[in-house]
Amino acid sequence: MKKIKIILLIFIILINSIFTVGCWSYREVDDLTIVSGVAIDKGTKNQYQMTVEIVHINGGTDKKMTSKTISTEGKTMFDAARNMIALAGKKLYWGHTKLIILSKDVASEGVAKAIEWYNRDYETRDEVHLIISERPTAKEIFNEPGIADEIKSFALDKMIINQSNLSKAPITNVLKFDIESKIKGISPIIPAVNLKQIDGKVTPEVMGTAIIKNDKLVGFLNSEETKDLLFIRNEVNDGLLIEEMHEKDISTLASLQIFKNKTKVTPVVEGKDITINLNMDTTVAIDEINGTTNFSDDEGRMKLEQSAENALKERIEALIKRTQSEYDADIFGFGSKLWEDKPQVWNSCGDNWEQIFKGLKVNVKAKVHIKNSAILSKPIKEGE
Amino acid sequence: MKNMGITYLGDVMFEEYKNGKLESSEETNKDIENKVLDKSLHNNIFLFKNIFKNDETMIVREFENKRLKAAKCCIIYIDGMVDTKIVNENIIQPVLGHDLSEDIESDNLLEELKNKVIVSDNVTEETEINKIVTSVIYGDTLFLLEGYDKVLVISSKGWKIRSISEPEASKVVRGPREGFTESIMVNLSLVRRKIKNPNLKFRFKEIGEMTNTKTCICYIEGLALESILNELIDRLDKIDIDGIIDSGYIQELIRDAPYTPFETVGASERPDVVAAKLLEGRIALFVDGSPFVLTVPFLVVENFQANEDYYNNYIFATLNRLIRGLTSVTSVTIPGLFLSFVNYHQEMLPTPLLLSISAATQGVPFPTALSLILMLLIFDTLREAGTRMPEHVGQAVNIIGTIVLGEAAVEANLVSAPVLIVTALTGITTLINMNFIGATIIWRNALLLAASFLGIYGFIMMLIILYMNLMSVRSFGVPYMMNVTRARDHDGQDAWIRMPWWTMTLRPKIIAAKNLVRQSSRKSKEK
Repeated sequence: MKKIKIILLIFIILINSIFTVGCWSYREVDDLTIVSGVAIDKGTKNQYQMTVEIVHINGGTDKKMTSKTISTEGKTMFDAARNMIALAGKKLYWGHTKLIILSKDVASEGVAKAIEWYNRDYETRDEVHLIISERPTAKEIFNEPGIADEIKSFALDKMIINQSNLSKAPITNVLKFDIESKIKGISPIIPAVNLKQIDGKVTPEVMGTAIIKNDKLVGFLNSEETKDLLFIRNEVNDGLLIEEMHEKDISTLASLQIFKNKTKVTPVVEGKDITINLNMDTTVAIDEINGTTNFSDDEGRMKLEQSAENALKERIEALIKRTQSEYDADIFGFGSKLWEDKPQVWNSCGDNWEQIFKGLKVNVKAKVHIKNSAILSKPIKEGE
Repeated sequence: MKNMGITYLGDVMFEEYKNGKLESSEETNKDIENKVLDKSLHNNIFLFKNIFKNDETMIVREFENKRLKAAKCCIIYIDGMVDTKIVNENIIQPVLGHDLSEDIESDNLLEELKNKVIVSDNVTEETEINKIVTSVIYGDTLFLLEGYDKVLVISSKGWKIRSISEPEASKVVRGPREGFTESIMVNLSLVRRKIKNPNLKFRFKEIGEMTNTKTCICYIEGLALESILNELIDRLDKIDIDGIIDSGYIQELIRDAPYTPFETVGASERPDVVAAKLLEGRIALFVDGSPFVLTVPFLVVENFQANEDYYNNYIFATLNRLIRGLTSVTSVTIPGLFLSFVNYHQEMLPTPLLLSISAATQGVPFPTALSLILMLLIFDTLREAGTRMPEHVGQAVNIIGTIVLGEAAVEANLVSAPVLIVTALTGITTLINMNFIGATIIWRNALLLAASFLGIYGFIMMLIILYMNLMSVRSFGVPYMMNVTRARDHDGQDAWIRMPWWTMTLRPKIIAAKNLVRQSSRKSKEK
């Protein structure tokens, strides 16, 4: 009898404890307002203007998902986010947000400042993609109908992720941005988004790079420059190299598909001089020949490799020069490499790395291997 | 009531019961031991008639030999329990027809009759009234003779029994098609035929004050552990119950860890299964009247081991067993996991899945937790209804189930489609493992409840409790989870997978500790 009493007592305590804790984070899925993307602009009176794209779901037999945007202003980001409850009716759910778009104005004022709340709050995720709008405002990206997906943020998310096949824009999420901001000797980069007119429809396009220096936006790189930048950063996985070959007076265009690329950055210190050796080893395959030149024999292949190497080298040198003279932001991460390899040198010169970077000598060596020519060996010629 | 002049029978009885008058109002056969047989035939018949008072199935047939007038005799048997052919041709006919005055030489007529006249394989002289009554109830025939204070008990059992057929609940594609019946002797013979070895021992024991149910402990000497055997006998001795109708009574009375929903005593309807378990050193307990034979010790792996595993190709058997193991895990966890993901940790769902669940849930009036619990309850109701229904009514149950569970609930937007899918998935995976369906349903609901209050935290908490429960249970001293969590040496050979027969050279440890080697010719290779 005593035993039963004890068991009953335990049961009562357990049941009560379960019921009194309540359902502190119990929430039904259909009560969530799912935020798919966030755009941050400058509002009136120096406030932040936050625009969220929410997924509006029509339930029932005719299920349909549509995108809606809500804009609010607030002194801080969190203020703006909370003000949104008054408009949306429900608390916003940030767990599945795909991206944050920053306007140029906001980015020029400070990127980390704007996304501080996003880093700190526990409801938000730090794997969301960061992009910077090249348009005057960020929210207009959400307002255009687009062609790909009903929900713009999801379409943009796919665009960013599939950039790894294109290498025309970097991929940066909040976490990566944080890390690159904290590390010495590297300036973070953020992909840029623009609007493009296709057949009368305006659709967003992720292309190019925004350069952030000391937390502020200083300039943009175009898509081709971005590819070269990614080559230096060793972030190229896929993409194309287009080579133009001249034979006598006929020009032939060849598309080389990048299979593998390995870039090695080695800082060399001699006395006070710091030189960076940049070695690139790229494996490609011929995927298209717009002409009649035969590249399948050794001689032709060597020629093509040579030409590709030279072109790559030239472009990369030009990019480094331009960056050094125009932005003096070390977006390539040479400084951080020096810090990793030779910390003593970095300790002595790290404080004025900006100055050193301006006049840094970079030896570029590019090596291109053509491993095959896909499933055709020779170009198909007429009359043969 | 009394004012109206009506008294109900029940009222009177209740009054009497309250006043203590109801007890021992009638004479019962309590003092049966004290009665003794008399030399007078008339008195003896009267004695038995008295014992079997109000029992009109008892037949008393008096007759005498045509020559020897002294041979006044009588047989007593219970109608329906005996084979009347044996009674007529082997007892009455020889005694009537023989010229006893010529044949009988000795003075001891009863002895002579037993030795020379009665044609029967099993005849014993008996004086103890208790034993005589038990055997006559069990279908033996009593032979009484004038002038003797003892009777002959002639074996004449011959009641109708169900023929040996394949058990409905555990059918096989490959394997023997015989199953146990309700007759203990037939059951014993089925096992005996499989293990032709004098070391196979049978020890009888009667349990049940009223029913006097015959039980039989069966084991292989030299394989079964004495400690387990003694423990079993000890536990059986402690049973003090009026009746045993099915082996389930004993199963529950002798089990370890009485508060866990997991079974710690096995039950099987198939002689091949029981024979295989005996060969692993386990002990079987046959109970008369039940086609389910108990085996101890019973471990958790035995829930997943189907007899067909050992008859089929070992790769196929392993696949089947993995499916069984996996579905047993999923049938317990799916509803709880689903609920905690959908209601607490939406971050853990992929975005498209979240969106489609969200779209399906729009406008559903009940919370997900409630609808999930309700749907599982409805499913269990249908399952229970389906098992007890007569076959032709079962179809109606099917139709209702399809309509209620399938179309209507979703069409009417009472339940969201994902909840329905989870219910169906849980249902089908539960039904695969019929061996421990009780435990599955209980723990599944516990996990679901914990998940509905505390999310994945509560789910994992309950999962730990489940695991602790499983790990702490013993069956006759053998750890219940033996071989499930360890795969070293020969331990894991027959748990999640079924290794080929040529590698399973050892019997399960602890259970067959006395003689571990199953295939001695390979012993040198393995050790």
